[in-house]
Amino acid sequence: MKKCLFFFLALNLCAFAAFSGGYQVRLQGQKQTGAGLIGTPFAPDASSIFYNPGGLALVEGKFSLSAGVSGIMSHSVFQKEGTNYQANTDNPLSTPFYLYFSGKIKDMIALGIGVYTPFGSSVQWDEDWAGRYLIRDISLSAICIQPTVAYQYKEKFGIGAGFVYAIGNVELNKALPYSEESSVSLKGDASNFGFNAGIFYRPVEKLNIGVSYRSKIMMELEEGEATFNVPSALSTSVPENNKFSADLPLPANLDFGLSYQLTEKFLLAAEVSWVMWSAYETLDFEFEESGELLNSQNPRLYKDSWITRLGGEYKLNDVFTFRAGIYYDPSPANDKYFTPETVSLNNIAYTLGVSITPLKGLDIDISYLEIHGLEAEKTYEPDNFSGTYKNAAFIPGIGLHYRF
Amino acid sequence: MILAMLAACKPAIDEFAPSKGDADFSRYIAVGDFWTAGFADGSLYKSGQENSFPSILGRQFTYVQGGEFKQPLMVDDYGVGLSTGIPMPKLVLDFRPDCKGVVGLMPGFANVAVDPANFASVAAGGPYNNIGMPGLKSIYMGVPGFAAVNPYYARFTSAPLNKVVDEIPPVNATFFTLWLGMFDVLYYAMQGGTGDVITPVAQFTGAMTAVLDVLTASGAKGAIANIPDVTDAAYFRTIPYNALALPDQATADMLNYAYTPLNQIIKGAGSTDTLSFQPGPNPLVIIDEDLPWGIRQIKSDELVLLSLPQDSLKCAGWGSQKPIASVYILKRSEIDAIREAIDGYNSALAQMVENKDIALVDMYSVMKTMSVDGLAFEGVKIDPRFVQGNFYSLDGLNPTPRGSAVVAYYFIDAINRKFNANIPQVTVSDFQGVMLP
Repeated sequence: MKKCLFFFLALNLCAFAAFSGGYQVRLQGQKQTGAGLIGTPFAPDASSIFYNPGGLALVEGKFSLSAGVSGIMSHSVFQKEGTNYQANTDNPLSTPFYLYFSGKIKDMIALGIGVYTPFGSSVQWDEDWAGRYLIRDISLSAICIQPTVAYQYKEKFGIGAGFVYAIGNVELNKALPYSEESSVSLKGDASNFGFNAGIFYRPVEKLNIGVSYRSKIMMELEEGEATFNVPSALSTSVPENNKFSADLPLPANLDFGLSYQLTEKFLLAAEVSWVMWSAYETLDFEFEESGELLNSQNPRLYKDSWITRLGGEYKLNDVFTFRAGIYYDPSPANDKYFTPETVSLNNIAYTLGVSITPLKGLDIDISYLEIHGLEAEKTYEPDNFSGTYKNAAFIPGIGLHYRF
Repeated sequence: MILAMLAACKPAIDEFAPSKGDADFSRYIAVGDFWTAGFADGSLYKSGQENSFPSILGRQFTYVQGGEFKQPLMVDDYGVGLSTGIPMPKLVLDFRPDCKGVVGLMPGFANVAVDPANFASVAAGGPYNNIGMPGLKSIYMGVPGFAAVNPYYARFTSAPLNKVVDEIPPVNATFFTLWLGMFDVLYYAMQGGTGDVITPVAQFTGAMTAVLDVLTASGAKGAIANIPDVTDAAYFRTIPYNALALPDQATADMLNYAYTPLNQIIKGAGSTDTLSFQPGPNPLVIIDEDLPWGIRQIKSDELVLLSLPQDSLKCAGWGSQKPIASVYILKRSEIDAIREAIDGYNSALAQMVENKDIALVDMYSVMKTMSVDGLAFEGVKIDPRFVQGNFYSLDGLNPTPRGSAVVAYYFIDAINRKFNANIPQVTVSDFQGVMLP
């Protein structure tokens, strides 16, 4: 793993992103990603719309435009309990992105809008793998649009809030035990509203404090498309085309962070995030036809998790700013209801980043995030599916920021 | 290139480390009845044998220095079943019209002729590691010339006058599985308590002790499974006791009227066990030789056998105008006798393995759990229901390949624990359940 990290160092390819427990993806700003995904005690650019709307009015310049993309390359490996069977995922590259624009309408008030992808997951196991009756592949994604308003007082205090409109879609495939070819494919869209609010406070020159809260958004999927492939013997009881509904919560987050300017060049920051995953209790599917046969209640019983982050920034000169960070993100999943659709382990992550400022007002932000899901034995009791999981994700990212 | 480098960074988990522990699996012998032989869908056929639980075990044993597991294979995938008295191929599920012309999914014999080559002797290919055969009871193990009455044994016996136990020494086994005794109660049960007697516990114990002595004569270790409650099988649990469906009051009244004279006799004899009918489901009318008047309605804790012709039930007035013959019914007293024998066998088996190098596989408890709660493996549910449950094949008594994999799973579990071994487990859901058209 270290080998991989140094490879990127050597290339000076540093970028910022985040891939957190469950299906949350916190890759909404390359600067934050490089510094251990810490966001609340910074106001670097318009990406504060996501990380802490309270900081938005303190962003330098009249207008700030920020955009970026990350590439998540993730791999999970599974060792089935008591057997000599192992499986690996072949996950497609997933590419969370962000786009923010903010501007000050007065010195004290800023308006902004952000489009970003805070949740997503893309897991693809082999067609004939041992867990195919639980999941073959799944892709989840959510895009959020967030208009935001922020206010600042004396360059010391900022408060901001945004309205979040989330659009999500899910697609999953799994095998059914009726014959070798039997399978079901589920596809659907959902949308809902939430909010994001934050406070930014600079009590003394060198110290920044940030708090932000993003509300839970319940994605209520209605009229999803279900396609069944079953033997003809079952075609009357299991119609080929069906509709389904399901709910998936995007959990609330409460973040609290501090940063301190140790020397003129060196800044240190820390943050804790409380992710309210206990909202994810069950994943239930209800079908329009043959419900008594097809409906399923699938316990997940996630628990809240606390993420602890440490990060730093070193400003070499007016052109180069380097960042690094580390965080620990314990698994929100329940050990007894752990499914291979979301391989969410206790994660340790390292981040690196650099911003290059070739001319005043323009930043090229590059980040690299490496996440290691620690090996653990897990089981999904209702299906008697047990084994050891381990995973890793390698996430380079690049972004541009322009202020004017 | 960057992507290629990252691909090389995949996480890895240590490989499973198989180990034979304190046992030696180099020469494995299986002794038993239908289940050991791989009988399924009312027939002994090739792929059924290849998915017998001993065959699955033999494959897993190859990871712990197990040798070849040789079976007396049939020549095709239809094989031979003898339940009707004449050789028939296996049962398959298909859409068939019933007596009312309603098309439904029903098992029936495959539409092929039995290949006589299936009964050609394969003795020359022996000795075989799988000494399992349909129709084997514990008390038949020491019968000389048993091949004369069991054509499945006749195929591979090394000498026509052999006892089945005589097939054991030539294998020179280092490890054995023994699962015998089910047919000692089942042959009685599957004929509704008529036409056979349950092997008394003392005879069972004597016969099994003798078999074990032969199996362990040169120090082989092994595993014995105890006897499940055979009355939980799909064969006894598919047709409900109240399978007599009456469409309306008029039909019920007609039956009530028809049985009025009999009911008067019953009441006259001081019994309250009269017959009565309502619209909807009703308990079937059955013959009970223990009653002076010979007829009553079945009780909710009694069992109707899958051998009962469904068309006779639907169209020929069986269970309503015509009482159902005893051969299709397990009465309370018969069920009690079966369970008592099984309890006796299982106590005897538990004593037999005590302080010996023999793992006891508690299949009684496994199958009870399956009957009550069902089992699940890798997201696939398995239970004793006919067709839907996927444990029992189309004869309702013998397992599908998936059912055999469940059995193999619990054998491996018990063997691993008893002998501190680490035989890789089977992935049960990889095995086929009931084949649907």
